[in-house]
Amino acid sequence: MPVNTEVQRAGQEQSTATPVLEINNLCTNFELPGSTVQAVRDVSFTLCPGQRLAVVGESGSGKSAMAMSLVGLIPPPGKVASGSVKLRGKELVGLGDKEISAIRGKDIGLVFQDPMAGLDPLKTIGSQFVETIRVHQNLSVRQAKELACELLAEVGVNDPRRRIEDYPHQYSGGMRQRVLIAMAIANDPAVVIADEPTTALDVTTQAQVLELLERICDERGNALMMITHNLGIVRQLCDSVNVMYAGRVVEQTSVNALFNEPTHPYTKALLDCMIDPYTTVRGQLPAIPGSPPDLAAAQPGCAFAERCPLGSAEKICHEQRPEAVVLASGAVSRCHFAHELEGAQS
Amino acid sequence: MLSTILRRVGISLATIFGASVFAFILLRVVPGDPARAIAGDMATEDAVAALRADMGLDQNLFVQYWRYMRAVFTGDLGFSYSTGGTVNSLLGDRLPATIELGVLAVIFAIGTAVLFASLAVYSNSRWADRLLRTASSLAMGSPPFWIALLALMVFAVQFGVFPGPEGRLSPGLVPPADITGLYSVDALLAGNIPLMFNALWHLVLPAAIISIGPFAFLSRLYRSQLRSTRRETFVMVARSHGLTKFPVFNRHIAPHGLLSILPAGSLLFADLLTGSLLVEKVFGWPGIGSMTADAIIQKDFAVVQAVLLLAAVLYVVVSLLADVILTTVDPRTRVGAR
Repeated sequence: MPVNTEVQRAGQEQSTATPVLEINNLCTNFELPGSTVQAVRDVSFTLCPGQRLAVVGESGSGKSAMAMSLVGLIPPPGKVASGSVKLRGKELVGLGDKEISAIRGKDIGLVFQDPMAGLDPLKTIGSQFVETIRVHQNLSVRQAKELACELLAEVGVNDPRRRIEDYPHQYSGGMRQRVLIAMAIANDPAVVIADEPTTALDVTTQAQVLELLERICDERGNALMMITHNLGIVRQLCDSVNVMYAGRVVEQTSVNALFNEPTHPYTKALLDCMIDPYTTVRGQLPAIPGSPPDLAAAQPGCAFAERCPLGSAEKICHEQRPEAVVLASGAVSRCHFAHELEGAQS
Repeated sequence: MLSTILRRVGISLATIFGASVFAFILLRVVPGDPARAIAGDMATEDAVAALRADMGLDQNLFVQYWRYMRAVFTGDLGFSYSTGGTVNSLLGDRLPATIELGVLAVIFAIGTAVLFASLAVYSNSRWADRLLRTASSLAMGSPPFWIALLALMVFAVQFGVFPGPEGRLSPGLVPPADITGLYSVDALLAGNIPLMFNALWHLVLPAAIISIGPFAFLSRLYRSQLRSTRRETFVMVARSHGLTKFPVFNRHIAPHGLLSILPAGSLLFADLLTGSLLVEKVFGWPGIGSMTADAIIQKDFAVVQAVLLLAAVLYVVVSLLADVILTTVDPRTRVGAR
C-alpha cells in the first residue's frame, strides 16, 4: 500500500509526528427501506497532535456523517459499514457503548452546530458541566464545580461562580457555544472535533468563537478537526484540508496549496464560489451548476463528473473511479486529470 | 405577574359559574317531574303541586338559581330526595370511597404508562413499540364497563383471585375508625393490617380497570415526548461528553417526558376524583360515580348539580395547581427567572 502511507503524510506539516487519530477506508451507510445511502465512502486520513484539519464540502457531502462515525455517534439507521478508526493505535470501530463512551469527551471532544439546542433546558449549566467532568474524572461535585468555573472563565464567561447556577435560556447563543466548547475541552481531549460551530451564530459572535477555538488549540496543543463550508474559516484557522464530495475525500492538501493551487476541479469550483464583496456583481452569485449525486445510487465513475467543467465530456470520468494521485506538492487528489491541473498552475 | 394571576382566577371563577348555570339549566330542561318522581305515581295532583311548591320548583328559573347559589355559598348543597339526606352528608359519605379508588387508579395509570413507554422507547425495539401502540389503541377503544364485567367474570367468578362486586370491604368486616375516610389508610393508622389488605384487595381490580383509559392516553403522550426529546441536540451533546445510554435517558430525556404528561395527568386525576359512573356501578362501589348514576335515574337534581359543580371546581383547581407546579418545575417559566 504505497499510496496509503503517502496519503497519510499528505498535506501535513508535522508529517514526522505520530498521528493521534488514524482513519482508514471508513465507510458509513444509512440502511433505508429499499435503498442504502452511502454517506461516507472509503475515507482515509490521519490527524496529528497540534494539527488543524479542515473538512470542507457542501451540505450532504458526508462531513458530519464522517465526524460522527469517528466517535460512534452516527444516528440509526446509519452504521459504520467498514474501515477503521484508530485512536493512538486503539481501534474504535465496533466498540461497545461503555467503551466508546469512555473515549468520547475524554480523548475526543465534540462541539456541535446549534448551541441554542445543545444544552438541556431543564438543568443548570453547572449541573451539566459537573456531569460532564465527573463522567471521566474522579472528582467530588465541589471540585468538579471549581474546575467548571475555571473553564468557564477561560472561555470568557464573566462571573462564572454566579453564572454557573443559571439555566441555558439565560445565556445567549454565543455564550452557550462558549459553554459547550468549555465542556468539550473539560477533560483535556487530544482531539477536538468542531462540526460547523459558528454556523448558527451571527458574524461578530462567529469571530469571537473562532478566536476562542484558536486560542484553546494554541494553549492546549490538541488536534482540531474543523468541519465547515466556510473557506474563510479554513484560511484563518486551519493548516490542512480535506475536501469532501459525495462521501469521498476528493482532495487532501495544505491550506496554502488549497488556495494557491487546487488540484481537483471540485475544489476549484468551491473556491470560485467564494464571494468577494468588492468584485461580485449584484444578482450574480457564483454557483456550481447542477446538484450533488444521489448517494443511494451506484457510481461507476467520478461522482463530480456530471458537474465538472473538465470531465463532463470525458469518457473515463464517467466510467472509471479516479484513484488517489499524490502530487509533487504533497497534495492528494482523486481526479484523472490531477497532474494536468497541477501543471496548469505552476 | 399579578395580572396573570388575576386573569387566571377570573377565568377560573367564570368557568365555575358557567358550569353551575349549565348544570342548573340542563337538569330543568330534561323531561320528567322530580316532584312526581318523589311523590310517586299514586299521589294526587294536589299533593304533587304542594311538594313542587315546597321544593321551590314553582318559582321561575332565575329565582330558583338565585336560591340555589345562595345556598351553595352558605355551604348547603341541598337535599337529596331519593336518599332522604342532605347532599353534604351524602358527599361526605361517598367522596372518600371515590378518592381512594381514583388515587390508586392514577398511580396505576401513570406508573404503567411511564414504565411501558420508557421500556418501549429505551429498548429501541420496533416490536416493543408496536406492542405498546397496539395495547394503547385497544385500551383506548374498549369500554371500561365491559372490561369491568369481563374482569369480574374472569378474576372473581372463574378464578376467585379478586373479590366480586361487594364494595370496599368483604361482607361482615367493620370499617376502620374514620380518620381520612380512606379505608386502607385508616386501617393502617389503626394498626389493623389484615383490614388494610382487605381494603386494598377490593381496590385493585376496579382501580386497574379505571386506569386503562388514562394509561392508553398517557403512554402515547409520554412515548411521543420521549421520542422527540431523544432526537434533541442536547441529547447528542450529552452522549458526546461520554455519558452512556442510561444516564442520558434518565437525566436528560425522561424529565422532559414527565414534564409533558404533568398537565394531562392532573386533569385525568380531576376526572377520576369525580368518579367513574359505570365502573363504580358494576363493582357496587359506594362512591360518587354510582351515586351520580343513581341520582340521574331518580332525577335527584340537588345531587347531580352538586356533582357537576364539584367536577367544575376540581378541574379548575387541579389545572391551576398543575400550572403552578409546571411553572415551578420548568426553569424557563419559573417566576423570577431572568
